[in-house]
Amino acid sequence: MTRDPRAFFALDLGAATTSAALIGRVSDHWRLLGSLSFPSEVPLVAVLARLVERFAAADPEIAMALGVGPAAASWPRLTVHSVPPAGLAVVAVSERALGALADVAALTGWRVIAGSAERLDPLSMTKMLLEQDVTAVLVGAGEPPGADERGGLGDLAALAAAVATRRPELTIILAGAMADQAPRFETRPAQGPGAVILGPAAAAGIPPGAALRATLEGLRGLADDARRSFARATATLAEALDRRVEGIDIGIDGGVRVVASPRAGQEPAMTAAAVVADAALAPPDPDEEVVDGVVGWSTLPADRHRMRDRLRELRRLPWGDATGEGAPFRLSAARAALERLVAATPDLDALPPADLLVIAGGAWAVAPGPAIALAAADVIRRPGVTQIVFDHARLLAPLGTIEDHDERRLVLADLAGDLLAPLGTVVMPQGMRGGRNAGRLVVHGATGSSEVDLMPGGIELVDLPPGESAVAEFEFRDPVRLGTRGKRFAVDVAGGLGGLIVDLRDVPLRLPDRAERRRELLAAWQEALWAGVSG
Amino acid sequence: MSATARDRAASRAAAAEAQPSPPAPGIDLIPRRPLLQRQVDAWIELAPGDRPLVSAGDSVVPGTPLAEHLRDARLVETVVGSGGLRPGDRWRGDAAAANRKRGHPPEGELLFESGGRWWVVAGEHSEPIESPVSGIVREVRPGLGIALRAGGAALEGALSLGGLARGRLELATSADGELLPRALDVGAAGAILVVGARIDAESLTRARAMGVRGVIVASLASKDRRDHLASESRQHAALHRLPSFGVLVLHGSVRRPISVRAMALLEALAGREVAIIGNPPALVFDPEGLDLPPDAPDVVHVRSGPLAGQSGQWVGLAGLRRFPGATHLEAGFVRFGDGPPVALPLADLERLT
Repeated sequence: MTRDPRAFFALDLGAATTSAALIGRVSDHWRLLGSLSFPSEVPLVAVLARLVERFAAADPEIAMALGVGPAAASWPRLTVHSVPPAGLAVVAVSERALGALADVAALTGWRVIAGSAERLDPLSMTKMLLEQDVTAVLVGAGEPPGADERGGLGDLAALAAAVATRRPELTIILAGAMADQAPRFETRPAQGPGAVILGPAAAAGIPPGAALRATLEGLRGLADDARRSFARATATLAEALDRRVEGIDIGIDGGVRVVASPRAGQEPAMTAAAVVADAALAPPDPDEEVVDGVVGWSTLPADRHRMRDRLRELRRLPWGDATGEGAPFRLSAARAALERLVAATPDLDALPPADLLVIAGGAWAVAPGPAIALAAADVIRRPGVTQIVFDHARLLAPLGTIEDHDERRLVLADLAGDLLAPLGTVVMPQGMRGGRNAGRLVVHGATGSSEVDLMPGGIELVDLPPGESAVAEFEFRDPVRLGTRGKRFAVDVAGGLGGLIVDLRDVPLRLPDRAERRRELLAAWQEALWAGVSG
Repeated sequence: MSATARDRAASRAAAAEAQPSPPAPGIDLIPRRPLLQRQVDAWIELAPGDRPLVSAGDSVVPGTPLAEHLRDARLVETVVGSGGLRPGDRWRGDAAAANRKRGHPPEGELLFESGGRWWVVAGEHSEPIESPVSGIVREVRPGLGIALRAGGAALEGALSLGGLARGRLELATSADGELLPRALDVGAAGAILVVGARIDAESLTRARAMGVRGVIVASLASKDRRDHLASESRQHAALHRLPSFGVLVLHGSVRRPISVRAMALLEALAGREVAIIGNPPALVFDPEGLDLPPDAPDVVHVRSGPLAGQSGQWVGLAGLRRFPGATHLEAGFVRFGDGPPVALPLADLERLT
């Protein structure tokens, strides 16, 4: 699709944001020629017209060569959509069985509500399944069923079958031993809304849960799903760059985390991904845990009620009130969402650390690059050296829709330099003793060397512009962990908008319990990378 | 040129002068939203055990009972003849002494059947759910809800709390006012009050106690929302039933005035019978005789930010600009009254059609 034309649009049509990018063939390479983002209510035709107009004004020569004009409206489009997650009700006989099912379901992009017959009476459970937001019901049991489940399988299946009779549009998934109860359900279509699907047990597959995850992800539908496409593009990017890549996308309705490794020797390429609705920037009805998370990262003095009000406003108008206090508030909400995403995906933490961390999604739309890098470093506490980049034009997901693998790889290899804005390199040692000078850093760059004393508990910033690279030599007084354990390290670092960020804070990060002190500390770190944010 | 031709040319020139000039470029990047919904499909939720009293195709008027809501729903396990019964069907208990002794209510709704026994939702106390609007019932789904196409037009809000409500609309404050509890008395009984920028839970409770049927407010803080819902929950638990009370929040959770266009509409509706529905959250009314001139093509409304609620004239794009908070956003110039143009983020603006 991208081979013949001279230019095409890459469109990420999200629930909150419409992002449009113009890609053109220049000197035998695909280049990003321009991009714009607007609230999703703005008509796409107006966004594209503005994008083309700006590009033509900025570079009339290339515009003419590409044939910019009325024909631009008919240029091919790579389009992805992201829609609010549909509701999945998960029910089981026992709390034990429910936990396993709900844990798997939470990683598949559904908005999950769950209840067991052990905790809910049949009337409460029926009400839960009849909720308007619920579009599918996962009724599960172990395979074989546990002793705590056997007695209740029939009653639970009968309840679910009765709900299905009232709401024939519900998709029912009978997982594990619950599949034996299928005859209780009226005849329904084999697929699509209203189908009864026999699914694997929660623990089935390698790794455990993989089989049920595949079933639930498949049911989520939407052929041009932005999150699925983001995962595919991240995997291709890892191949194209021959680096381990971690991709993180936080949007208004959910978060995606992808870890991808290219093939290395006998080791095949690997991709692991999770889509977590609970990692939304602004969940529809923020509970105490969500509000506490945002309060914990906030640099603004706001009580929990006021923070909940702000989260609700953010949900209602994701682009509204983004100035003044609204700007750091968004980044606090983004950190909290990222924290929920990381907490929901411990299996991905266990994989080898990535060389390149790609940050994406509308959550970061109003923050400057260096502040985004800091937010990522605040939450993802992994000792080592990581280059952080930002998918600033929201290109990865649309490029993931290119069906042909080789073509996708070629386009991504061509565009990698344009689509990934370098935010900087984070160096994060672990195991330093607090309270005294921990050592020294010498950065050997193209224009000379600079020295920095390493003070535990803080952040040291070394100016290293985008496009530059350097060698950073660390000499610690005591052994620390930085990939391996030792006192002396020499690492290659790449520049970025935030330069080299030497993060000497605790791993994991420990913040003061006193709210005022915590806010001051967070604000001080943030101010160093986001000048004028509090002014 | 003949006199007739001159007249025609003059009239064309006059018509051209009367036409408003097209708005400055860039206004197409401001989202458009209809102020009024001309087709109102309301969904009235039912719970298992509630008894629908209408059928699809029925016409209803304000006050028509739509359903009976079971206030003390509980589960009863019983043996029922199996002949063609389905979940959601009504069940009437027999008069058997054994059942009466067990405290079985006289009737209920079948929930599910297992092992030859039915679980039934039943109770003894019910209250009517009355239609707040005239319209036609489109669908009835026991245990789920009733779909009703309401006659009239609707002003949609951000959220609605409480029940369905109907009453005459009264303006209690200005668009940016706030209603204090002491300002409420029984004189407002039966009314749906427009109370300005915000209201607290205490005022809502007092309004309900004074017989007010509903409140329309620009914003409601989460704390007041929680406290009001807790108060409503206590009311529902009490056996003494009060009339339904609805709260329509027009704009959100953070304090702001009622927007200029919404307030103009509410002023025009003052004294008329209106209704609050919950799903979608909206104020439903009969638009007959209302004179609401549309906005000029260059009018934009501020929907968020420090100037939220105001309307101004679109002057043109301002490009990417730095705003407080060291944030760079696409912006446009808007003129408020006779003042100089102000640069505002495009995302804070909207057009109302």
